[in-house]
Amino acid sequence: MDNSAKHLLQRLVRRIPVSMLKSTLDKWERLTAEKRKSLDFTQSKWIITQELVALYITENPNQGMWHTFQLVSVKIKKHTDQAVWIRVAWGDGLSSPNHLKATYVVLYLQTPYVFVNALSSKHKPLLLQALTLSTRHQQIKAANLSGQKLTALRDLLMRQYQQVFPPKYPSPLAEKLRVEKVQAEASANRHRMARETFGDGMLPALQSAVFKLETKFKGPTNEAMTQRDEPFICSVKFSSSNLLESLRHCASSGIASTPVTPMLSSIPLKGRNYFVITDNVLTA
Amino acid sequence: HSGVVKRRSKSQSYRRSIRTCFGVASGLGLTPALTARRMNTSRKAPRSQNITEKVKPEHLELLVKTEWQLSYVTPLYQFRHTQLKSYSRQLSAFIAAEKQEGLAVEVGGLQNTFKVSFSVLQGLAETSDDPETVLIQVQSKPMFARQEDPPKTVWCGWLSCINGNPEYLQSLPKDFTCLPLFCSKGAEDLSSLVKSWLQRTFDCCFGPLDINQTTLQWLAALWTNCHMETNIQNLKMIWTLPVLPPLQVTYTVDSDDVLDLWRSTRESSAEKSREAEDEVCIDFSEVTRFMQGLMSHFYRHFRVDLSAGELNQVSSALGSAKVNGKIKISSSRYLISIFSLLTECALLKMPI
Repeated sequence: MDNSAKHLLQRLVRRIPVSMLKSTLDKWERLTAEKRKSLDFTQSKWIITQELVALYITENPNQGMWHTFQLVSVKIKKHTDQAVWIRVAWGDGLSSPNHLKATYVVLYLQTPYVFVNALSSKHKPLLLQALTLSTRHQQIKAANLSGQKLTALRDLLMRQYQQVFPPKYPSPLAEKLRVEKVQAEASANRHRMARETFGDGMLPALQSAVFKLETKFKGPTNEAMTQRDEPFICSVKFSSSNLLESLRHCASSGIASTPVTPMLSSIPLKGRNYFVITDNVLTA
Repeated sequence: HSGVVKRRSKSQSYRRSIRTCFGVASGLGLTPALTARRMNTSRKAPRSQNITEKVKPEHLELLVKTEWQLSYVTPLYQFRHTQLKSYSRQLSAFIAAEKQEGLAVEVGGLQNTFKVSFSVLQGLAETSDDPETVLIQVQSKPMFARQEDPPKTVWCGWLSCINGNPEYLQSLPKDFTCLPLFCSKGAEDLSSLVKSWLQRTFDCCFGPLDINQTTLQWLAALWTNCHMETNIQNLKMIWTLPVLPPLQVTYTVDSDDVLDLWRSTRESSAEKSREAEDEVCIDFSEVTRFMQGLMSHFYRHFRVDLSAGELNQVSSALGSAKVNGKIKISSSRYLISIFSLLTECALLKMPI
């Protein structure tokens, strides 16, 4: 919800007389009955507006930019499978909390992952410290996974999308394919490996992946460059409306050679979309 | 120095590179005249030129740091550089008339008056065969504006020929003026009106000048070469791969590293010729090897073949070029070199 929409909502709520507020919302039918019940109309209109905005953002989590953090601890607590939403409005010694520029935090209690939206660098250390302490973990670190769609980030990390595992015994269909032409076999292999690497059906909609490369130059025919000691510094960004589907199609069509390189398969396997690559190790 | 560009003998690579760019550049049938003009497979490395003495500062300010949409235009019949005031009046009247006809002009609204001015943009013509560049500006003023309110330039375009092929230019009949490169910026409907008026007044033809793969690769190599004189900061290339949904790959290389790669491909070039002058010549085969080096480093990491896709954009601190015919020059020092390349692309589109 952008600022102009928030202001509009605020002004609307102010204009509507308190006595008519509840019936207006009932007639509007935009919120479910139980959500309407959860609103306390004895509170000030200002607080009611904030609760409406919070309800909206909870229902529409695929806006803004979400960053993922991972809580670090020896113990992992298991709770029921429900997300905890936290809204934080920041103020300081001179001003009261700004509810229009609130930070949203989503915790999935059965995992060590926390998703954060709209957090300024000033408040970041405070929030991270508070999260670590309140969840009784020891440390929190960036998980190098960012995107606009909270649901996609969540699905990627929880692997809540259709995965394909190689069968233990070849099916009769696979047996039949081996007898067919080499091209058909190669194509089928590519499709299979593409699906095994990235998954089947609808994939979580990541928009981009960034690789910072600090490796030595790799080129088969260029002696001068391959003998160079210094790294060849470059960066590669892959972007798409659905990056994982694009990469899967690259693999199945042969544009990306199969088996898919760990550089690309790390995106779904590790649930990350930011990498720094040096010569020996895929570092954080 | 002469404006003549070096021609290579008809080696294998020359013929191959001709076919690739030629096929894309012209959808027209081959005629003897066409085959005589090909994209040069060898060109001089762009040198930093200080053109601030030749070109007025207000003109330079207009040209650089702006994204221009490119078109080509066939030679203009009976165009006179001495008649610019008259052309200004005629085009203003034409735009006003078309507006009255109900042809929607998005800019401003019905109350706006448009004033056109044609002028000579001196200093860009390089050889004695190049006609002087012509600048066209359209200014708009709301009808009820105060007298002292300055009119706003809402559209700007220029026609030029920079280091045009002298054989071709000299072969044209007397009454034709060749200014094949048309750069425009501003509302699309004004562009259409200006082109329409030029077409009917000078019996010429406009067409889009797409910047093809070959030209983009030239620009990648030439801009990298410039890093020896001027810091290009980095070389950025954007490819699209034909998958669903389409995948865009942005490959950005640090300037010092990409220059090392460029230098290494030049040193290993067996065809590198030493010219009598100190002007170094770059052959397209070196450009190809350079691009292959970049793509193979990419392949070693991602096992993705970039040549399966299309190069859409090349940019550096010196400017940016996009395949849909948009160019931006960020430094006046290389303006002449880059627009010479584009003039060559425009001339390739000439049907006669």
